[in-house]
Amino acid sequence: MIDALKKLTTIIMAGGKGERLFPLTRDKAKPAITFGGLYKIIDFTLSNCLNSGIRRIYVLTQYGSFSLDQHLRAGWDIMHPDLGEFIYSMPPQQIMVSRWYRGTADSIYQNLTLLQSERPEQVLILSGDHVYKMNYREMLDFHLSRNADMTVAAVPVPRPEAGSFGVLKVDANGAVENFLEKPAEPPGMPGSPDYSLASMGVYIFRAKTLVEEVIKDAKKRASKHDFGADIIPQMVGRKKVFAFNFADPDGSPRYWRDIGLLDAYYRAHLDLLGRTPIFDLFDAEWPMRGRPQLDPPSRYISSPGQCLAVGDSLIASGCIIEGTVNQAVLSPGVRVGRDATVAGAILWHGVDIGAGAVVKKAIIEDGVKIPPNFHIGADLEQDAKRFHVTEDGIVVVPNNVILEE
Amino acid sequence: MKTILVVDDDDAIRTLLKDELFDEGYQVLTATNAREALKMVEQEALDLVILDIRMPGMDGLEALPRILGLKEGLPVILNTAYTQYQESFMSWAADAYVVKSSDLTELKAKVKELISK
Repeated sequence: MIDALKKLTTIIMAGGKGERLFPLTRDKAKPAITFGGLYKIIDFTLSNCLNSGIRRIYVLTQYGSFSLDQHLRAGWDIMHPDLGEFIYSMPPQQIMVSRWYRGTADSIYQNLTLLQSERPEQVLILSGDHVYKMNYREMLDFHLSRNADMTVAAVPVPRPEAGSFGVLKVDANGAVENFLEKPAEPPGMPGSPDYSLASMGVYIFRAKTLVEEVIKDAKKRASKHDFGADIIPQMVGRKKVFAFNFADPDGSPRYWRDIGLLDAYYRAHLDLLGRTPIFDLFDAEWPMRGRPQLDPPSRYISSPGQCLAVGDSLIASGCIIEGTVNQAVLSPGVRVGRDATVAGAILWHGVDIGAGAVVKKAIIEDGVKIPPNFHIGADLEQDAKRFHVTEDGIVVVPNNVILEE
Repeated sequence: MKTILVVDDDDAIRTLLKDELFDEGYQVLTATNAREALKMVEQEALDLVILDIRMPGMDGLEALPRILGLKEGLPVILNTAYTQYQESFMSWAADAYVVKSSDLTELKAKVKELISK
């Protein structure tokens, strides 16, 4: 197995613009967005790599690459290139062609020189904007055991919900018979017809096949140069394409979330909370690594006779809490003033909630100062005049606004 | 008349290919190195490029993706005395790989096939 990993090149796609996460992505790459208080979204994929024994990683960046570079430098400068391990950040080199990455497949085409210098046998392609725990070695074992040209990781989703995904129709052995992008009638899975297999955007390719397919795609004018839209459909039926079922042995789907929308971002945070969270960050078997912090322990201050109510939350270090906090995720350095209420909110680094303020169902970017007695999330109509409010009614407060009492 | 660009640093080969392909009914332009070739790809209306690999300065494998980046869909034949570049991923972007030979039958056949596509 170690030999198989040596012949594996791992590439994380992290260049997308993330427009559907606006305004959070207006100044940074989607994978560089804060998640779960301490982490950036890309930390989950990088941690999966570490936990899978993968220590040679290329991160393809493009849009807002500085935010990612900063994070990789500050948080992931842990590899030893002298031992042959690395995490390299790769914006478009413009050596082969003078253009930006046109799509995920084009980003591989533009880095053919890299694949030529590495000459791997297999290539693992990952996304920098997913939240999940996955052992890529299991998928590699599966891929090698099937002698596949390409293996697509796929998670079972209830059929009625599968229409928003790329859906794989497979036979009983996992061989992909058809790939349907956002189908109106998603096909069921063999043995569990109420579920469909949704592509997770995680792929392992035989390296030679990958090179052939991205070259072929690069020459197509009508292509979006995208793995999901172009490469998989181009290969299904011609090549040995398999689906790796991301499910527990009893068939129940494992946790995987694409953080593509603000509401998905918000809901995935709720999955971190509770006595037994759906997605547990307290997992000694599969630790998630973020940027190391040197903040002091969080301080909880109560006035004489007052009992602080803090529940069902994740609170990072360096916070000062004098108010009520419930169902919230707090990054380091957050202040919640006296008699303030925070409920169902995601507060990024250094957010300052003034005394008596109320913040409900909101995402607040780093450094935002909420004035004393200010209300967010109480009157959505009022909020929508100043902030972005999502379909689910989540108020997003970016840090380029100044709020006044 | 279809126009072919022959890129080779060897004078004898350029002359040979120019004469032989002219006799086949093609207009033939030549370039002695990759940089010159890239300029011509940008400026001339070409139907096919015959590209040597081992050239001083920029080699053919470096020039190939740049040519394709400038003129999407322009057919390129790699024409080299060496077989080993066939293994390089960089050569796979070419439409054909023809090993140099005094017998031009294979090259002419590939030209004909690709230019009439």
